[in-house]
Amino acid sequence: MLVLTRRENQSIMIGDSIVVTVLEIRGDQVRLGIRAPRDVPVHREEIYAELQRENRAAAASVSEDVGFLPKPKAAAERRPRPQPE
Amino acid sequence: MEVVTDRFGELEVTDDQVLSFPEGVPGFNDAHEFFLVPVPDSDGAFWWLQSIDHPHLAFLTAVPWGFFEDYEPELSETDQDALGLDDPDDALVLTVLTVHRDDRKVTANLLGPVVINQATRTGRQVVLMDQDLPVQAPLPAPEDGAGEDAPNDAGDDPAE
Repeated sequence: MLVLTRRENQSIMIGDSIVVTVLEIRGDQVRLGIRAPRDVPVHREEIYAELQRENRAAAASVSEDVGFLPKPKAAAERRPRPQPE
Repeated sequence: MEVVTDRFGELEVTDDQVLSFPEGVPGFNDAHEFFLVPVPDSDGAFWWLQSIDHPHLAFLTAVPWGFFEDYEPELSETDQDALGLDDPDDALVLTVLTVHRDDRKVTANLLGPVVINQATRTGRQVVLMDQDLPVQAPLPAPEDGAGEDAPNDAGDDPAE
């Protein structure tokens, strides 16, 4: 792991297009600003790890058999527009 | 175009059915193109989000309001910008389902819904911060017709 020490308003560059800036340090919290291209996801690490795990579990957990799915309580509003023929 | 899928065989997919996910989704960052396949006889409640890049990859998703009536996902400005969502009515929200084989329970990821801008045909899986939402919100079992036991996991409870 590369370790750098920064003050408020100092930044770190990752590659050519990712900039991480220390916006504010208050007590035990650091406010970070991140500039990154649209195709690079930026997330709190523990949340991202949780989503990764859940997505992988979800993808592995389903097969064509969907007979066990419950019926919705309410009419499924805000459904997708019908697919074009 | 013809798309090969593990679950559905070869399907014909038109250009305007293709959904672009520039970031992929967490865990599958190289899955950039998907399309939706309705689950038969589900009246629009359930949809497969099938990867075009990877024939074996498909997520089973649900329109959340069929099970979580008070679900009010609040997208961050970053997410709205990334999706180019000028009109909130263009947003299609789908929650990814996980089937738990041991007890046949189905859970929905309310914390990280997939949001699709139907006007631009782009999508991303967003993270709803500060709403205290679960990654595994149980759907009622099929026997519970009234769904009384289904917890209300919407974000209007105060965060603990």
